[in-house]
Amino acid sequence: MPWAETIVDTLKKWDTSLIAYVPDISIDRVTSIIDADPFFHLVSCTREEEAIGVAVGSYAVGRNAAVFMQSSGFGNSINGIASLCLPARTPIPIFMNLRGQVGEFNIAQVAMGRNTTPILDLFGIAHYTIESEDRMDTLLDGVMKLCHAHRNPVAICMTPMLHGGKIA
Amino acid sequence: MLRFDATQLVLRHAGDSPVVGNLGPTSDELYHAGHRDRNFYTYGSMGLCSSIALGMAVSTDDKVISLDGDGSLLMNLGAIATIGREKPENLVVVVWDNEAWGQTGGQPSHTATNTNLEEVAQSCGIAKTTTVGDLETLEEAFGRAMNEPGPWFIVAKIEEAEEYMPVAPVEPEFTLYRFRNTYVG
Repeated sequence: MPWAETIVDTLKKWDTSLIAYVPDISIDRVTSIIDADPFFHLVSCTREEEAIGVAVGSYAVGRNAAVFMQSSGFGNSINGIASLCLPARTPIPIFMNLRGQVGEFNIAQVAMGRNTTPILDLFGIAHYTIESEDRMDTLLDGVMKLCHAHRNPVAICMTPMLHGGKIA
Repeated sequence: MLRFDATQLVLRHAGDSPVVGNLGPTSDELYHAGHRDRNFYTYGSMGLCSSIALGMAVSTDDKVISLDGDGSLLMNLGAIATIGREKPENLVVVVWDNEAWGQTGGQPSHTATNTNLEEVAQSCGIAKTTTVGDLETLEEAFGRAMNEPGPWFIVAKIEEAEEYMPVAPVEPEFTLYRFRNTYVG
C-alpha cells in the first residue's frame, strides 16, 4: 500500500480522528486525504506548538489526536512537548517530514533537520525514521501501540526516500 | 476587578463545562476558587491555554472555557487566528488582561500600549467579542457566552491581588487523566 494511505489506515485503526498540523508540501499527500475524509477533523494551525496544544486538548476530552509538521517546525514545538506532553503523559504521534537529509537543497534547513532526532533522544521520545513502504503498516501499528502503552509522544520521521521528495 | 473574584464568578456560571487555566496564578486561583475534575490546570506550555481549549471544543459538544492571559496569548497570537478559522460555537475565551507580565516583575505587556486583543479577535473573524472592566459587565457577558453560540472572546481587564495565592498542586499527569476520566470513564 502507498505510504500515505498506510498512515491514514493506521490512524483509523487507532481511532485517531483529530489531526492538528502545519502544512508541508512533502506530507500534503497525507493531509489532503485526511482533509477529504469525514472520519477526520483537520485543524490547520499557524505554528507547530499550537498544534501540540490542540492535540492535547482533544485527547483530554477523549478523542485521540495526531500532529503533522516538518522537522523545521519541530523546533517551534519543543516547549509544548517538554512542558505539556511529557509531564502530562499524552500519547500524541507526531508525523514529520525530516528535512536536512539526502537531496536537501537549502542550507538553512540542514541544522534543524539533522538535529531533530538527537533532540528527540535528549527528551527520551521514541522516534522511527521511515525510508521505505516495506512493512510500513506493521511498523506504524507497533508505533501506535507503543505510543498508547507508554502514554508519551512518539515521532514518525519521513524522508524523501519515502515520500518521493527530489533527491538528485 | 480582582482576578480571583472574576474567577469565582466564572465558576458560578460554568456548570460542568471544562475550564482550562493559563499557567501560574490563573490556574492557582482557579484551584482555590473551586477545584473540580473538569478544571484543566496548566503548569507550563505558555501560550497554549486557548489552543488546548480549542482542541477540546472541536472534540466535544460541551461549552469549553479558556482562562487565558494577555502575556500568554501575545506569545501565541496565531491561536486567535486558528479559533477564527475553526469557529467552534462552544468555545468561550476569557482573557485576564492585567496589561503586564505579572509573574516576572510586572513589566508592561503590549496591551498596555497599542495592542487591542478584542480588535485582534474581531479581525480574525470572531464576531462575539467584548471588553469588560468590572464584575457586573463580566457577569452579563459571560452569562450570554454560556447561553449563546460563539466562539466568544471576552477581554476582562483585571488587577493582580497584592499577594499570590498558594501554588496549586503541581501534578500535570494527574490533572490530565482526572479530567479525561470525566469523558472516557
